[in-house]
Amino acid sequence: MLFVPAQGGEMEILMKKYKNKIIIAVVVAVVLTAVFWWGGDAPTLRGWNPEGAVGFGSGQGTEILDTSDTRESDAEVKLENPEGENGASEEEPHEEEKPEAESGGHMTAEEKIALAERMAQNSAEETKSGDSESGGSDVQDNTHDIDYSRANGMEINEETGEDIYKTEPVPEGQPVPVEPNEAEISDREMTCTLSIRCDTIFNHISWLDSEKRELLPEDGVIFPEQSVKFYDGESVFNLLVREMKRNRIHMEFESTPIYNSAYIEGIGNIYEFDCGELSGWMYSVNGWFPNYGCSRYRLNEGDRVEWVYTCDLGADVGGEYSARNGR
Amino acid sequence: MKEFKTYHPIVNLAYFVLVIGFSCVLMHPLCLTTSLVCGFAYSAVLKGKKTVKTNILFMLPMLIVMAAVNPAFNHEGVTIIAYLTNGNPLTLESILYGLAAAAMIAAVICWFSCFNEIMTSDKLIYLFGRIIPSLSQVLSMTLRFVPRFSAQLKTVANAQRCVGRDVSNGSIIQRARHGLAILSIMTTWALENAVDTADSMKARGFGLSGRTAFSIFKFDKRDMKALLCILILGVYVLAGKIFGGMYFRYFPSVRGAGFSIFGLSLFAAYLALCLCPIIIEVWEAAKWKALKSKI
Repeated sequence: MLFVPAQGGEMEILMKKYKNKIIIAVVVAVVLTAVFWWGGDAPTLRGWNPEGAVGFGSGQGTEILDTSDTRESDAEVKLENPEGENGASEEEPHEEEKPEAESGGHMTAEEKIALAERMAQNSAEETKSGDSESGGSDVQDNTHDIDYSRANGMEINEETGEDIYKTEPVPEGQPVPVEPNEAEISDREMTCTLSIRCDTIFNHISWLDSEKRELLPEDGVIFPEQSVKFYDGESVFNLLVREMKRNRIHMEFESTPIYNSAYIEGIGNIYEFDCGELSGWMYSVNGWFPNYGCSRYRLNEGDRVEWVYTCDLGADVGGEYSARNGR
Repeated sequence: MKEFKTYHPIVNLAYFVLVIGFSCVLMHPLCLTTSLVCGFAYSAVLKGKKTVKTNILFMLPMLIVMAAVNPAFNHEGVTIIAYLTNGNPLTLESILYGLAAAAMIAAVICWFSCFNEIMTSDKLIYLFGRIIPSLSQVLSMTLRFVPRFSAQLKTVANAQRCVGRDVSNGSIIQRARHGLAILSIMTTWALENAVDTADSMKARGFGLSGRTAFSIFKFDKRDMKALLCILILGVYVLAGKIFGGMYFRYFPSVRGAGFSIFGLSLFAAYLALCLCPIIIEVWEAAKWKALKSKI
């Protein structure tokens, strides 16, 4: 295109010359805006408000820096109530913004963690647990854990501080991962308890995919706590697969070689991301949320295995720390 | 047999935009069946019996493969039929969804083969030449490129064969070399040709404002009627889709909107829309017959 420098009425000439192009640009912009709005990505439709509005965004800024403390205190609260009545479910369900990517589309992992921390901080402020002492899982001060994990056979890389499957040192006193390909399964029968719950969804029922609402059990219990058999050497994953098959409960998993474990995508047709961008399945054994995958957790006699659905990257069920290392 | 082709390009374009768009969006099994059957029938009408055979040979395996592949990777759904060897469930819903997706792709392929037959490059240039000249030129050049390229390839290969440098001469390495030489010739030719065409069009002032283009298309009453019909049907179906009259979901359980007069009218409208060209065909044939008998 030739550009002729115009003297008088420059704008007019330009307008005339590029009339079509301007019209096209405007039309494209209008169409994109319409799609953005009607596609459900617009701020008010998605449930989150722009910067500075009410909600969890109110405490942004400096407080974010010291989330590690509140995280600890949050975890502390949960450990004090091993009945499964965790902090989040005690609160009245209130209007919270549904966590979604601010740019539309999906959030990155970092964004999700930051958002979960903000939400956790918010709920921690509401529950106001008094003293927050350091638990056992602080990232900064984990020489104990490293020594403990090494002594128990974990090979932790000096540089990354993780083992080859990206697992950080296990907190002192907890079992270290056992690789499923090395596990020896004997035919000795043992028992443990298994339960599957998704009652956290009731706190965020408006976030739930509307097609999935009918699947939600009334009490949020998909598999009531009961004693189940397993064979010595089996992992939490083996147990879950067997019990779900036996009880004809739907369960889908995906193996993730990078963590050398299966990842549970959905149980009972309730999938990850069905209740907001931070939702998914997590497991805990004897109240602890392992920081490695369920295929690598070797079961022991009498273990108490719980599968819980989180809407907040683990913060609402008390397993926030492990969420950072993949579930 | 190509009555619809003689209609104004804008009518053709509106029809294909609506039909292909709906084929991609409407996942209701009835819509998919309608679209697939109509698309297949219309492509058979346009291209003759021979393409029916190749169509079936190509599409049936694709349908089967797609329907089989989906449940291998998708395990959602409440009806568990069996368990796969790795422990994931095989669900009825994922199989049905696989079938639906395969039907959708087959339908869209059928419709695009019809589109190619009806929307010739002169129509595209006519429609878009004024608004987006460069894009429509690129489009028409691309559409023209494939047949031209294959014709030129034949010429070049024949010429090379005459001097003993074809892919059929010599050892494997020599053959590969000759093949590469032909490829290089073709690439050079194609690039040069494209530049030539673009220059030539520029020299003729293509795309300049105030320049008129010759076209033999005239928007008459017949086109108006057809366009109105197509648009009314399209808007009705679209409204029905928005208001949930064609609601259908595959996950977690298969469920669709219940039977209603509104729903039924939507499917009828969609069927009518898909059948438009065939209806026009029959209509014109009947008209011709009626006129003929009068003489």
